[in-house]
Amino acid sequence: MHISVKKNLKKDKSALAGLVMLSLLVLIALAAPLFTKDPRAFSNLILSKPDINHILGTNDLGQDIFSRLFYGLRTSIFISIAAGALSTFLSVIIGIFSGLTGGIIDQIIMRIIDAMLVIPSIIILILISAFIKPDLIGLIILISIFHWQGGARIIRGQTLSLKQKGHIYSATTFGAKKAYILARHIIPDLGNIITASFLHNARSAVFLEAGIAFIGISAADTISLGTMMNRALEFYYLPVWAWWLLPAGIMLSLILISLTLLNNLIEKIIDPRLHDA
Amino acid sequence: MLEVKNLNVSFNGKKILKSLNFKLKAGDITAVVGESGTGKTTLAMSIMGLISEQFSNAKVSGNIFFNGIDICTADRNQLQQLRWKRISMVFQNVDNILNPTLSINSQISEIMPGKNNDLKIKNTLARVGFPPERAVAYPHQLSMGEKQKVLLAMAYILEPELVILDEPTSSLDHHTRNNLIDIIKKMSSGRAVLILTHDLDTVRKLTKKTIMLYGGSIIEAGDTEAIFSNPRHPYTRGLLRSFPSTDRTKDLQGIRGKPEFVEEGCPFHPRCTQSINICRIQKPPLDEYEDRMLSCHRGGIIPLLEVKDVSKSYNGLDVLKSVSLNIYEGETVTLLGRSGSGKTTLAKIIMGLLKADSGEIYLDTRQVNKWDFNFYSRVQMIFQEVASAISHRLNVFEAVTEPLVIQKITERKILEEEAKKVLSEVQLPADHDFLRLYPHHLSGGELQRIVIARALILSPGLLIADEPTSSLDASIQAKILKLLNNIQEERGLGMLFITHDLGVARKVSDKILKLDNGIITEERIK
Repeated sequence: MHISVKKNLKKDKSALAGLVMLSLLVLIALAAPLFTKDPRAFSNLILSKPDINHILGTNDLGQDIFSRLFYGLRTSIFISIAAGALSTFLSVIIGIFSGLTGGIIDQIIMRIIDAMLVIPSIIILILISAFIKPDLIGLIILISIFHWQGGARIIRGQTLSLKQKGHIYSATTFGAKKAYILARHIIPDLGNIITASFLHNARSAVFLEAGIAFIGISAADTISLGTMMNRALEFYYLPVWAWWLLPAGIMLSLILISLTLLNNLIEKIIDPRLHDA
Repeated sequence: MLEVKNLNVSFNGKKILKSLNFKLKAGDITAVVGESGTGKTTLAMSIMGLISEQFSNAKVSGNIFFNGIDICTADRNQLQQLRWKRISMVFQNVDNILNPTLSINSQISEIMPGKNNDLKIKNTLARVGFPPERAVAYPHQLSMGEKQKVLLAMAYILEPELVILDEPTSSLDHHTRNNLIDIIKKMSSGRAVLILTHDLDTVRKLTKKTIMLYGGSIIEAGDTEAIFSNPRHPYTRGLLRSFPSTDRTKDLQGIRGKPEFVEEGCPFHPRCTQSINICRIQKPPLDEYEDRMLSCHRGGIIPLLEVKDVSKSYNGLDVLKSVSLNIYEGETVTLLGRSGSGKTTLAKIIMGLLKADSGEIYLDTRQVNKWDFNFYSRVQMIFQEVASAISHRLNVFEAVTEPLVIQKITERKILEEEAKKVLSEVQLPADHDFLRLYPHHLSGGELQRIVIARALILSPGLLIADEPTSSLDASIQAKILKLLNNIQEERGLGMLFITHDLGVARKVSDKILKLDNGIITEERIK
């Protein structure tokens, strides 16, 4: 199966839209300090309406909502990339190791994964978060610990099937060492699956972080879209929701939508049954 | 009766015969076999004592003892006493030998002492199957076979002790040839007969002993049947493979290169696929090997791979039960069996991809304990599924040079050179555009050739081909099989050919092994 991602991307308009959207969001997040004020600076001006100085007004502490919106975006994107990368890294390492080693070690790893998949991770996450109030890095580690299993399972399965492929046998019979086969054949062949796993984990991470912040159990000093929505809801009786709650919700949706659209493309590429006729 | 001792003959300083040694006994029919130009006729003429007489530029050394008389030093008179009466010879060019102005009768009378030989001539002609009443005819009125018979009659009429026949059957049709073979057999009892020929069919039917001559040296000698059924010298095998026969199924294969004059070393070394350094420098002695004499530094065709008592079972199901096989240099052994009979399992065990439950594998007579680069540079495998054998991410250039890259040869120029060489060997283009194609751009036949090229780039001695043509249509299959055959001829590659197709097996194999219920049985092919 020879795949050209570029070609597929050109054909799939929605995925292209997702890519453009995500790129824009990342660019904006990176450039945020250039066009925003200090998001943590307090002022006397609380819950003010949008004006020239504060495009989306201020919150109950007099902080600029516009600035906090984009810093919240930064947090979300950072956490999606970091947690996505870390959990995918764990999936790849454990999945390939398990698949290549086989035998009893493989069986043990698979049973541990099964056990972890059965536990509802979101509840555990909430419980632990409520207890330790994790900061950003802590949250990334926590989310990653609960998100590598699915990917590892898929990657192990693929590794098992790849192991039996002619070109891997051939490489072995040319005298290739395990490291070469891993770097030149197995990992590149798993590329699509690794990408899909990364996008999937990234999306979950964004959602989980926002969720944990929304129920108010993450570290208080983290600027997060979830925290913004949580705080804004406290003032639902004021018109502030229109420029406080809504933009945060929209921003979060945009990230999730763009990641989902891209993920759909990769899934389509991997699974021939989803190919257009 | 005849003993040739250290015979050397050279013309203008060029050695034609190099220290020949052999003996003939009464009652032996012995063949001297070799291609044109190997010195067969020179040998015959030396025995007849004709060399120094006929050629002023020739130098003869050594001895040829005929019943105690040394022909090499004998004077003209002594020789005349021997010729025709005790040693007779039938020359190769039948047409030029007979005098066109004499009738057959007078022709034969010429060599006979005294007069009134008519009755004897009649009888002898009848014995060789020539109608005596036609003895009045002139040579131009006779057919090839008849002329040959007349010459045989001349050779045998004086009841000589030694008869030399130079290509007695080479230009005759099948029927006449068989007829002549019977006659020669009948006439030869009690005599020593030396037959010089390149016609292997005649040799097999007529002779008991065979001397293989190449480049003026004896390279193999022994019982005809032993040499024909189990040739030990690469040249002998090559010659047998080149010879069409009615009961051979394997495609004809030649011997690579062309005969050339070799001053030093083994005369066959430029064409030999297993030659090593010493073959170039030193002429191998003619030594005794089991049932024959052999002149080869490597002890004849070398064994490449030996599988000894290999067993393997999957979950209690015995797939291989103490399986053994041998593969020699330049030999194709076919493993024939139904799907699921364990053919691929055995191949994978040899390649170190599966672990056998028990048994040993020897490569170049050393036991294999570690499947490392040294092993894989000697043994390569072509896997069954061509489509998956090359990663879809590699283009032709990357795929073909992957084995070299794995061996840490990364210089672009060397890689390109090697790729081009090996691609042209498998008859694929090697231009820039082709090198940049991906597997999905290529046809099944092209892919199969690339897989073969990949296996060849490490110059292995043994190739394991697992159903290399099962997914190809007939016309492409024919081309691939021919290609493998040619590569074998060129490189002296040993091959373990795995197939379920008996037709294919017969076309490519020197030996067919049937694998059934985990046991190997040899199928006899000729």
